[in-house]
Amino acid sequence: MMNQAALPAWLTTYVATQQATEAWLRELQQTLAQDFLQRGIPSRREEEWKYTDMSFLAKECFTKSSTLRSVVSPAIVAGHRLKNIESIFIVLVNGHFVESLSDMRLLPDSVTLCSMKQALQHHAELVKAHLTRNLNLQKHPFASLNAAMLAEGVFLHVPKKTVIAAPIHILYLHGEENNIVTCPRNMIIADEHAQVTLLEEHSAYGAVTYFTNVVTDIHAEAGAKVHYHKIQNDAAKATHIAQIFVNQQQDSLVETHSLALGSKLGREDVFVNIKARGAHSNINGFYCLTQDDQHIDNHVHVDHAASHGTSNMVYKGVLDKKSRAVFNGKIYVHKGAQKTQSYQANHNLLLSTQAEVDTKPEFEIYADDVKCAHGDTVGQLDMDSLFYLRSRGIEKQAAMKLLTYAFAADVMNKMTHTQIKQRMTILLNEKLAHDD
Amino acid sequence: MLTIRNLHATIQDEKQKTKAILRGINLDIKPGEVHAIMGPNGSGKSTLSNVLAGHADYHVTAGDVMLDGKVLLELSPEERAAAGLFLAFQYPVEIPGVNNMYFLKAALNSLRKSRELPPLDAMDFLQLIKSKIKDVGLDEAFLNRAVNEGFSGGEKKRNEILQMLMLEPRFAILDETDSGLDIDALQMVAKGVNSLRSPERSILVITHYQRLLDYIVPDVVHVMVNGQVIKSGGKELALELEAKGYGWLEGLAE
Repeated sequence: MMNQAALPAWLTTYVATQQATEAWLRELQQTLAQDFLQRGIPSRREEEWKYTDMSFLAKECFTKSSTLRSVVSPAIVAGHRLKNIESIFIVLVNGHFVESLSDMRLLPDSVTLCSMKQALQHHAELVKAHLTRNLNLQKHPFASLNAAMLAEGVFLHVPKKTVIAAPIHILYLHGEENNIVTCPRNMIIADEHAQVTLLEEHSAYGAVTYFTNVVTDIHAEAGAKVHYHKIQNDAAKATHIAQIFVNQQQDSLVETHSLALGSKLGREDVFVNIKARGAHSNINGFYCLTQDDQHIDNHVHVDHAASHGTSNMVYKGVLDKKSRAVFNGKIYVHKGAQKTQSYQANHNLLLSTQAEVDTKPEFEIYADDVKCAHGDTVGQLDMDSLFYLRSRGIEKQAAMKLLTYAFAADVMNKMTHTQIKQRMTILLNEKLAHDD
Repeated sequence: MLTIRNLHATIQDEKQKTKAILRGINLDIKPGEVHAIMGPNGSGKSTLSNVLAGHADYHVTAGDVMLDGKVLLELSPEERAAAGLFLAFQYPVEIPGVNNMYFLKAALNSLRKSRELPPLDAMDFLQLIKSKIKDVGLDEAFLNRAVNEGFSGGEKKRNEILQMLMLEPRFAILDETDSGLDIDALQMVAKGVNSLRSPERSILVITHYQRLLDYIVPDVVHVMVNGQVIKSGGKELALELEAKGYGWLEGLAE
């Protein structure tokens, strides 16, 4: 039993009133809730939470949004859609799936894509199997809490050899209701040789305070290809906790591209499990912190349990004002995972003397025939480059922005989906442009 | 056009020791003139060009520089560019992630803005740059690469001249643009520079060797030694230096 901050009453109330229709889920949630309450909110004494203080959860009060109170204007929602391409679009507002704002016209008949509520009714067995897969209260406390409080989310099942041409865009939008907590879960199951491209976007309209604790499960069966993108552009006062679990079977390819721009406190854990021979994983991230006291924490853990796998992890970030970023990259290579190739890098650009970065690469290698490497840097803008641009007439602020974007360019260019990359680039540029 | 009076500048070396590099430079360059500064290594030639462009590493301790009546030393680097100054760098920096064409467009439109001209639209800009890049003998593919990244020494110098042709400065400084160039590239660079020669425009050529001055014929040649201009003369002075070296002049320095 660890020493924990007092458990907030709102949390106890929330889990006590959680009443899933399905008996198995109700039972599971009760157990998980009890376990979480017993464990308590992770404290900074735990290594995984050393730099990220969650104790505010006990000081503030969050409630569940029981019904959708207001309907966001379609114009706001339309502003989020990908340009120059037709996409499949799923919208959740304050945690509620809104069918009228969603657009599933391009969904192939053989593919299942629905809200988690619908999936619990029609695909209970699949949901159950995947929901219980990554439960580990000590290691992933917020994933357990997410399961305990789960009400909505998105369920996607792509059958064997099915290729979905249109990108699937999942938009989590917040607005108007303050101090609500949502625990959405996205379940993405790509069967053998299926292919899918996704964008999960978290955003807000108007200034609101809320707490999101999201879990995204990605299962790539043999030969499947999943290109997953995430935009975290939450409101400036919001808290965003995310866990992304990636399970990869033989010769599968999973790419994750994560862009963190918003929230006051953001924490994202990516767990990649290379479970069978020859799976490839690319895990990329960019974070841009522009507010005082903004805090973004990325934990990426790749577990090579099978041979001939590759993983490439590149995270970069820009920090301004009195912001702080944390990065922890961990590669674990099991004894049997020979011929593994694994690389991790974390590069940071500080635009202010008050910004702080804590970066920690970790390797645990038990196989003897592997290639692993890492690189980590914290630096400032190159003064010679800045002078060069200015000597050509480009104003100092504009030159700084150009160089800042250039710093991000290599990780942004790892995205192969043109329109998603375009949208993420525009959002990043807007963020940099507001940074004065 | 450009007047330099008693210019002194220092730099902090690696041991944070202040080192005097320019020790009282005087120059007077009139509109339409091409001046050359020659001198041995370490004489302060590149320091002079960096001080004129406004590099923050150099500290001006005394003297004045006027460009078209403006007090140059009070201006930021971008204001100096807006005032018409251009420095073709001896060692152009590589800037990964910044697209060469985007950079050139941003630079040109910044300068146009300072002259209260509307920005060039994408089509006009493309047309202009495509004609200019031919003049410096670079392939159009270089426009879509990052600024100077992975360019050979010669390609970097051609890229500098391309920028100069695009930005059309009133006063251009070429800092050892000839170093590392083969004869074809040298002729190409000279052709570009000569195409800019006009009664309103002045050029300062800093070079180690007389060779470049066969192609860009100067009106005045200065010899710089130990941070001072110790001798000035006509274009024949360059030939004399080529034949005799600098040794015979060093006695003239203080």
